[in-house]
Amino acid sequence: MSDIPFTGRAGPEASEQGAVAIFERHRAELRASRRVWNILGLAAFAICVALSINISGFFPERLATGVPRIAEYFATIMPDLSWDVLFAGRTEDGRAVAGSITYWYTDFWTYIELLWETILMAMTASLIGSAVAFVLSFPAAANLAPNGWVYWFSRRFLELCRGIPEILLALIFVFMIGIGPLAGVIAIAIHTAGALGKLFAEVNENASERPVEGITAVGGSWPAKMLYGVVPQVAPNFFSYAILRFEINVRASSIIGFVGAGGIGQELNRVISFYSDDRVAAVLILVVLMVTVIDLISENIRHRFIGKENF
Amino acid sequence: MSIAAIADLDEAQVAQVRAAHPGVFSTPWGTVKRWAPLSIAVIYVLVSMWYFEFGRLFDASDRVWALLRNFVVWRDMDTWAYRQIYVGISQTLAMAFLGTLLGTLGSLFIGFLAAKNVMPIRIVRQIVRRFLDILRGIDQLVWGLVFVRAVGLGPLAGVLAIFVSDLGTLSKLYSEAIENIDRKQVEGIRSTGAGPLAVIRYGYLPQVLPVFISQSLYFWESNTRSATILGIVGAGGIGMIIIERFRASLYDQVAFVVLNILVLIFAIDWLSKRIRLWAVGEKAH
Repeated sequence: MSDIPFTGRAGPEASEQGAVAIFERHRAELRASRRVWNILGLAAFAICVALSINISGFFPERLATGVPRIAEYFATIMPDLSWDVLFAGRTEDGRAVAGSITYWYTDFWTYIELLWETILMAMTASLIGSAVAFVLSFPAAANLAPNGWVYWFSRRFLELCRGIPEILLALIFVFMIGIGPLAGVIAIAIHTAGALGKLFAEVNENASERPVEGITAVGGSWPAKMLYGVVPQVAPNFFSYAILRFEINVRASSIIGFVGAGGIGQELNRVISFYSDDRVAAVLILVVLMVTVIDLISENIRHRFIGKENF
Repeated sequence: MSIAAIADLDEAQVAQVRAAHPGVFSTPWGTVKRWAPLSIAVIYVLVSMWYFEFGRLFDASDRVWALLRNFVVWRDMDTWAYRQIYVGISQTLAMAFLGTLLGTLGSLFIGFLAAKNVMPIRIVRQIVRRFLDILRGIDQLVWGLVFVRAVGLGPLAGVLAIFVSDLGTLSKLYSEAIENIDRKQVEGIRSTGAGPLAVIRYGYLPQVLPVFISQSLYFWESNTRSATILGIVGAGGIGMIIIERFRASLYDQVAFVVLNILVLIFAIDWLSKRIRLWAVGEKAH
């Protein structure tokens, strides 16, 4: 600290007192400056809170009327099951008994078909997206890119792919190629390529240079260096990330139908928008179940794979 | 060994080496095993391309070009309702901010209830955790749709949707952070005879607060992204304007709004990085 005068020559006692006083003064200054910053930060925070409450209409009276309606809404979507006919099947003329599970899940097989479509969409999109991400992750890794231009372009391309929200992409593709799962698959695949490409590139940047140098020494071309020098090191990581992405994509494809891009989301949107009865709960429960089961399976696969590779 | 020496080897010697070092030579089964996953994946993608009718992508090429042209060519810029657009953007920001703040406050409480070392009663912990699983299992957009049904169109539904889905995820992350703390500090506070609230305040909070702040800032960032699309289901914000302009075939305005959102997201990322640096002192990623 240059602004603290050096007072060491005035005698031991005086200097000690002086040093303590200077230290105390300096400390008080620091504390005061810190306090000012804290107060400023707090004020900015308070202004943000007030503004956002005002803009979003988060007012007590609206909450007071709205919150009970949330509970009411959840009460209306719950099924009206009665215990004595819970497992009753269909009667002779093919009608389900009111209050039974069969009655609640009248469209069960439609839902299952749509769930299956959702999983297929996620799988296809994950595979296509990982393939693109795999190819682009080598030019997008700072240490492996053949030259600066390729690096810059592949980086920007990946950023563009993951920058736009999936559902917005799906909206555009639905307009381009019509309603149906294809638009969803393409939208999710593009987003997956962007997100996984970045993660893959980071893994590549952490890979050891030595195998690459070995391949260079025997005259390997750039693709050979990548394929034999880098891929064996990074494959387990890539696999683990891709499986994790599949998990995320299952969630994404279950809602991408909101804009007409296929899967269970389309049915979910229809059911929530047009009815407020037990059908909503029926679809929601199936979606949550599917997501949970896929999560468990993928977690299991990832742990087993990582365990096998001792990684 | 030179190439000439390798050429001189006879069958018997090769067979001998093969018997001694079986792992070095490729076997038919090994080849199959190496290529099977890749070929299955390729076959699956090809079949699913047929199933999802990928051909339609090429049938629609003239519409694609028309759309792309409309995105780039901006017409009648002075008639665009800029005020409406920027009100939408401010709603998006407000929704993300308030939703994250409420989610953080709620998770501060619930996170402790779900942590093994704070909540010794197993049944309470399990109930809280299953409840959080349900909150997390339902997507934010679905919550948005549900809250639109409950409180009507507008940003309030968006705030509640962000709050509820953040509550599910943040509480889980918080409770994991609480479970990973150092026991010694807590025992030190307890040994002075402090009550349970004082133990949490002086034993737990100083250790977990940096993690909490950093997580909440990440969520603020990601909620700003997701708040832009919550409007698609009517839960307020810029998404409502996007979908409205899209339905009205005003693609140039859609492109303008999307560009605005991208700038906004970059700005929020930068700001959150700075705040994290200031509040936690952690080196930003």
